[in-house]
Amino acid sequence: MATVECSGLRKCYGSHEVIRDFNLSIADHEFVVFLGPSGCGKSTLLRMIAGLEDITGGDLLIGGTRVNDNDPGERGIAMVFQNYALYPHMSVRQNITFALERAGDSKERIAKRLAPVVESLGLDVYLDRKPTELSGGQQQRVAIARAMIKTPEVFLFDEPLSNLDAKLRGHLRVEIARLHKTLKSTSIYVTHDQLEAMTLADRIVLMYQGRIEQMGTPEEIYSRPATLFAAGFIGTPNMNFITFTVQEGRLRDGTLDLPAPEGVTGHVTLGIRPGAVEVLDAPAHDAIPAVVERDEFHGETRLVALTCGVQGLMAAIPAARKLHEGQNLFIRFPSQSLHYFNTDTGRRL
Amino acid sequence: MKPVTFVLRLVLVIAALLVVLPLVWTLLNAFKTNADLLVSTPKLIFTPVWDNMEYVLNRRSVARALVNSLVICGWAVVLGAVLGVPAAYVIARVKNRITQEAQFFALSLRFLPPVAVAIPMMVIWLGLGLYDSRVALIITYMTITVSITIWLSIPAFERVPLAIEEAARVDRLGPYATFFRIALPVAKLQVLSAIAFSFILVWNEFLLAMMLTTSRAKTLPIIASEMSQLGMSVPWGILNAAVVLLSLPPLILLALVGAGLNSAFSAKTSQE
Repeated sequence: MATVECSGLRKCYGSHEVIRDFNLSIADHEFVVFLGPSGCGKSTLLRMIAGLEDITGGDLLIGGTRVNDNDPGERGIAMVFQNYALYPHMSVRQNITFALERAGDSKERIAKRLAPVVESLGLDVYLDRKPTELSGGQQQRVAIARAMIKTPEVFLFDEPLSNLDAKLRGHLRVEIARLHKTLKSTSIYVTHDQLEAMTLADRIVLMYQGRIEQMGTPEEIYSRPATLFAAGFIGTPNMNFITFTVQEGRLRDGTLDLPAPEGVTGHVTLGIRPGAVEVLDAPAHDAIPAVVERDEFHGETRLVALTCGVQGLMAAIPAARKLHEGQNLFIRFPSQSLHYFNTDTGRRL
Repeated sequence: MKPVTFVLRLVLVIAALLVVLPLVWTLLNAFKTNADLLVSTPKLIFTPVWDNMEYVLNRRSVARALVNSLVICGWAVVLGAVLGVPAAYVIARVKNRITQEAQFFALSLRFLPPVAVAIPMMVIWLGLGLYDSRVALIITYMTITVSITIWLSIPAFERVPLAIEEAARVDRLGPYATFFRIALPVAKLQVLSAIAFSFILVWNEFLLAMMLTTSRAKTLPIIASEMSQLGMSVPWGILNAAVVLLSLPPLILLALVGAGLNSAFSAKTSQE
């Protein structure tokens, strides 16, 4: 019903190409998150789907129809903006019903559709206020209500939670997830926040410099990052990277000497998440000696900065386990938690 | 109160008095008899008389000039707004070479000294047989009202967040509906102030009116200035009364849109 199909989408500003050959097909009811650092083109892409940016090349199909040249209002979409974009001169009620009035719906029909939307977002008491009299979180709820009442085929969210404080962000995130489930519409959500992406997405489209770096479920991207960028961008605390040269079938950096995966040559970057590093008090098979540099208390866990040889890396351990600076210990890398990347191309090996 | 604060307050008070006192003086003198006026020590306490006002209001030339001023300024302002406000919106929203040139052109209309405009205008209107007519003055004044309205409305529209116009596009509004239903209502106060300011400028305009009228289309400022040539002795009371009458419409407008006018001239942005 409401699939979104991008084939070979391009966007140029003058001679500067910001998005090249973007291919993606989004299934009906799917919740897709465009994730990436600022300037990666994710917002531009969303605005191209919305019709707020011209499409330089390629085809955009919504519900099977090519909509490249349609106005935003004719694409069956609704959009929630980062800075709410409510009409400041209208009351909350007018803001929500404006599109329906424009479409010529009768007063009774509008009232009938308004009631459940307002109720589900808890906006009943604010209907006659002006947007400026509401808090950021309430304003964004109004913006979501404005999008919802149109019962669009595709919901577009452009960093909707970025202007809110951390606690509210959590609340609204849950609400957006709930709405997506009950409305059964297709949603495209842009964010630079990996937590939002991981918790909301059926599928994450990780973007970097105008192209897709990796695409997959949150679990897939987390457990099998396809590139160095994906590995470094997803996961908190960040993945440790150690660069080695392959010599005689071993990974060496001068002090460390680890077994190399088969058939690998040249430079290799080894990635391991801090949580996967095993910290041992006594020497053991395959364990490497390390020294504690710094110890950060994070509540549930403790993040320990370690030096082993010339390399520095982080390890996450339960907070109950206390280490002191300068302490000598041993670490071990479980082979199933290791990620190997070609240092030069950045691709997973 | 700190000494510094006190000194600063004092400076402000003196500055305020410098502005307000002459105005108060004019107002008082408008209601004095010549006997009360022409004394070496200015009188603050006197019996107010309506004679000066009555004289001014009852003169047929004043009545005609008042109608002329209202009709000419009214039309010039309305036409200036009808042309200038949409132009300002386009210049604010569409940024390219042409609109940039248009914006500068609107401002450059105000660069020339009025007298440099007045003489060619006089020749043109004489040639067209429209010299000393309201139409001639309306069109001449439009160059003032259009440029001022454009120039002051551009920042007003630039302050309307782009995102709400995009939201409007998603809500199926075309460019015209976006202008009338969204941008204009949001920028309303500042746009009104821009229009009011253009009214004040043409209401007070003297030089062009003097050069382009001789009898039929004379405006109030011309008539007021003629009052000083009534006889050998300057009729101070009458002159003051005329000034008070002349100042009333702009003052009322200022009071109505003062707040908006202030923000139209300051460069602050309301959002972000």
